[in-house]
Amino acid sequence: MRRLHTYIAICVVLLITGCMKWEYGTEEQFEASGEGLFICNEGNFQYGNATLSYYNPTTHHVENEIFYRANAMKLGDVAQSMTIHRGSGWVVVNNSHVVFEIDLDTFREKGRITGFTSPRYMLFISDEKAYVSQIWDNRIFIINPKSYQITGSITCPNMTMEQGSTEQMVLLGDYVYVNCWSYQNRILKIDTRTDEVVGEVEVGIQPTSLVADYKGRLWSITDGGYSGSPYGYEAAKLYCIDPATMTILGEWRFRMGESPSEIQLNGRGDTLYWLNDDVWAMSVDSQTLPVRPKIESRGTIYYGLTIDPRTEDIYIADAIDYQQQGKIYRYSAAGELIDEFYVGIIPGAFCWK
Amino acid sequence: MRRLTAILLLGIVLYCPQLSAQEGQRAYSYRDGEHFVDIEGVSVVGQRPIKEIGVQQTTFDSLALKESIALSMADVLSFNSSIFVKSYGRATLSTVAFRGTSPSHTQVTWNGMRINNPMLGMTDFSMIPSYFIDGASLLHGTSSVTETGGGLGGAVKLESRSASNSGFELQYVQGVGSFWTFDEFLRLGYGNDRWQVSTRASLATSSNNYKYTNYDKKINVYDEQMNIVSQYYPEERNRSGAYRDFHLLQELYYTLKNNDRLGLNAWYINSNRELAMLTTDFSDERDFDNRQREQTLRAVLSWDHLRNNYKIAARGGYIHTWMAYDYKRDPGNGIMTTMTRSRSKINTLYASADGEYYIGNKWLFTASLAAHQHFVESRDKNIILQDGNKGIVGYKQARIELAGSVSAKWRPIERLGVSLVLREELFGKEWTPIIPALFVDGVISERGNIVAKASVSRNFRFPTLNDLYFLPGGNPDLRKESGWTYDAGLSFAVGREGVYRLEGSATWFDSHISDWILWLPTAKGFFSPRNIKDVHAYGIELKANLSVALARDWQLDLDGNFSWTPSINEGEPMSPADKSVGKQLPYVPELSATVNGRLGWRTWAFNYKWCYYSERYTMSSGDLSLSGKLPTYFMSNISLEKRFAPKWADLSLRLAINNLFDEEYLSVLSRPMPGINFELFLSITPKWNIGK
Repeated sequence: MRRLHTYIAICVVLLITGCMKWEYGTEEQFEASGEGLFICNEGNFQYGNATLSYYNPTTHHVENEIFYRANAMKLGDVAQSMTIHRGSGWVVVNNSHVVFEIDLDTFREKGRITGFTSPRYMLFISDEKAYVSQIWDNRIFIINPKSYQITGSITCPNMTMEQGSTEQMVLLGDYVYVNCWSYQNRILKIDTRTDEVVGEVEVGIQPTSLVADYKGRLWSITDGGYSGSPYGYEAAKLYCIDPATMTILGEWRFRMGESPSEIQLNGRGDTLYWLNDDVWAMSVDSQTLPVRPKIESRGTIYYGLTIDPRTEDIYIADAIDYQQQGKIYRYSAAGELIDEFYVGIIPGAFCWK
Repeated sequence: MRRLTAILLLGIVLYCPQLSAQEGQRAYSYRDGEHFVDIEGVSVVGQRPIKEIGVQQTTFDSLALKESIALSMADVLSFNSSIFVKSYGRATLSTVAFRGTSPSHTQVTWNGMRINNPMLGMTDFSMIPSYFIDGASLLHGTSSVTETGGGLGGAVKLESRSASNSGFELQYVQGVGSFWTFDEFLRLGYGNDRWQVSTRASLATSSNNYKYTNYDKKINVYDEQMNIVSQYYPEERNRSGAYRDFHLLQELYYTLKNNDRLGLNAWYINSNRELAMLTTDFSDERDFDNRQREQTLRAVLSWDHLRNNYKIAARGGYIHTWMAYDYKRDPGNGIMTTMTRSRSKINTLYASADGEYYIGNKWLFTASLAAHQHFVESRDKNIILQDGNKGIVGYKQARIELAGSVSAKWRPIERLGVSLVLREELFGKEWTPIIPALFVDGVISERGNIVAKASVSRNFRFPTLNDLYFLPGGNPDLRKESGWTYDAGLSFAVGREGVYRLEGSATWFDSHISDWILWLPTAKGFFSPRNIKDVHAYGIELKANLSVALARDWQLDLDGNFSWTPSINEGEPMSPADKSVGKQLPYVPELSATVNGRLGWRTWAFNYKWCYYSERYTMSSGDLSLSGKLPTYFMSNISLEKRFAPKWADLSLRLAINNLFDEEYLSVLSRPMPGINFELFLSITPKWNIGK
């Protein structure tokens, strides 16, 4: 009987002493001087598991979850993009409605801007002025990065809040150009002196990305929408645009059903790269689309792409099943595999230090 | 003589273990304010209904279901079974999954009508107050085939039942709890030999703004030059988490002169819930309104025709669901402006016919036919088209779902039973192959009442309407998921009437699910479902129950459940880098357990509930990241109840303490849960027969 009582007592103690722990980290010291590549891992929407990775192309060393480890707090929900300005990194965390400023060597937070609707990309106009594009809002927010304040906004014409979508921005002289993506078909031109939209050009359905080549011409690639969309469904296209006149200089059509995305330029600005199952490359002076890919797919849907501005090495992100650590493949400009490494969940955006 | 026959037949309907839905439940009674647990004797051979040959079933007693008006079925299942309840917070979406499968692999019926959302496939158990459910049982794995198709994990069978037939009854319960939580429940009933009428209403409201320390983010303290001088983890409140849920259940039963029975059950839900902000959200909750509203009406008309050796039943039903999701923000002018406005409407017509025919006491033949016709309209986004006109992103679809089954159950000798079920289903224009299920049970030893059960079945689950048609991403080319499940188990029961009763069971199961549907992002940026995985789920389920009359006026009741459920991805790798093959599915615990103890002394009752889930992976690769991890989950709740029995009413006062050890925890990533919290309930049941 005594043995039974002892057994019952042990069980009771086990039951009531089981305790949970909301695990949070301790601040880790980093010193990542020199060149490097930041990788924004979006994480799963609504799960707050976005992370930031850092890769040293020289040593081939990768550090994952650097924001969490350096700051002992989470990066947030959906790390959308990152940009660098005067020694600081600015990480846009979309569904956390925040932009973090971080030290590029220690990864420690230096400050943050809040108050966004759904931020996507950040572009610096000057040390004291930056634009932040948004989705589900028809306004581009104007920021003072020094005071971490939203100082104003630019309302995009003919765009409702519900359909609001401004994406990637390019600064050419006094003007910023931005592609409008979700259920949109325009590239807008904004005068940074007045913070007003002063021009636009219609392109195909849903321009996904925007870059400017060495000649100062804009390049954008559309995804064509999707089958059944009331907004329309068409073949995706590549566009070359004259920013001065906001006219289309060239237009290349993909096959129906193809989904090109992630248009990028090399460091010299003379070669375009994009994803369309495989990795494709094309001279900005070419008159025709390439017939063979630069790098063939590894049987997966690539999610992100960047080109090393110094070496022209090609980095491709494989999100695999979007529920595990994604993998980055690094190829030489000649298309040879140099390195591969795992990062965080859904690696989508890159930023060169 | 006719009256005698009528009484006998009514008695059979209510109490016959072969035909009554109350079978398998322990009997609890309440007299003069004292709790009585009727500890029944053990006689397995006589208590194994032929209808349940080989069926692995967990039945919930009325004490679990009627413990508190504040509980949803999600809470009841969490603490009284080993199935996994994934809750996104207090009064937010709660789904259940059997044996390592997904929530859409759990089929749910209410009074015979399937209530899974045809657009999403799953059921939100936080929307089902346990006080509205009079009978609930889980059909594990293969056993779900006896009730419905599509339950690759299992099925949850919910029923409401008639009021008593002894005149008027009224019960009112008021609950007041932490975080400005108020629960009210009212039941009015009247019954005589022919009519039983019952009206139940409940209203639950809460600010739900519990405090917690947010370890997912820090607050910065800046100096004048905007340099960070210090940081700290903020103490926050659950932001934007308020809710208001109203339920009304009207029931009407009538027994005809020929003893046929007619019934009407109508259940109306009106819910308005804010969607709580994530721990990683840095926005001001006053700038946003993120809200989900639902209005649902479920109604079932039934006719039961019961004779000595056969039963025929017919049912007709209707479900209307209107759901709205609104995400708004104040752009600075004080007016909330819509960012997302999503509406969906579901109309479902239901009809079924069932028959049972006994030949002696050795054979039972059953047949059933059920039809669900869904009409669905989804309007997810308002847009301006390229030509300047307005457009709506959404879809409108209808689908007929037919299911037919026949079964033969044979008990050649008292110790052995064999049952064969054949089922076939039609979804839209696509038929399943014949779905076979074979069940066997046998008494191994009368001493200890050791019974062995085994079963095997094939099963299919069709894609949901969102899987097929949602814009953007719906994939009309999806194949149906399919699976084979095998079950085998032993159970025992020992006891002495009025003294103690000990029951237990151990079940091994093994199931393979092919063409598992998963939503994955596409190159165009939206998600789309694909038949992607093959999953092997297997494991062991243990159950035990002990009821003991410890001493005069002392009663102890203990329930325990334990599950070991590896659920392994055995599909082809998505790419050469895929590390998920051979790994446990994310968010599915490998181990889970519950203990529910109840100690009664005269008019007092003390209840202790404990629930455990092992660490859950948040990645399909089974990697443990620092910033995305769900540690082992333990939860302890207690309650103390005192009943009073003045002449004019039965009263009870109950204090519940949830999260007894004030754990700081997340149930899902970025979803904080409340610390220790309290709720006090007062229940009044007037006695109408005073002076009689």
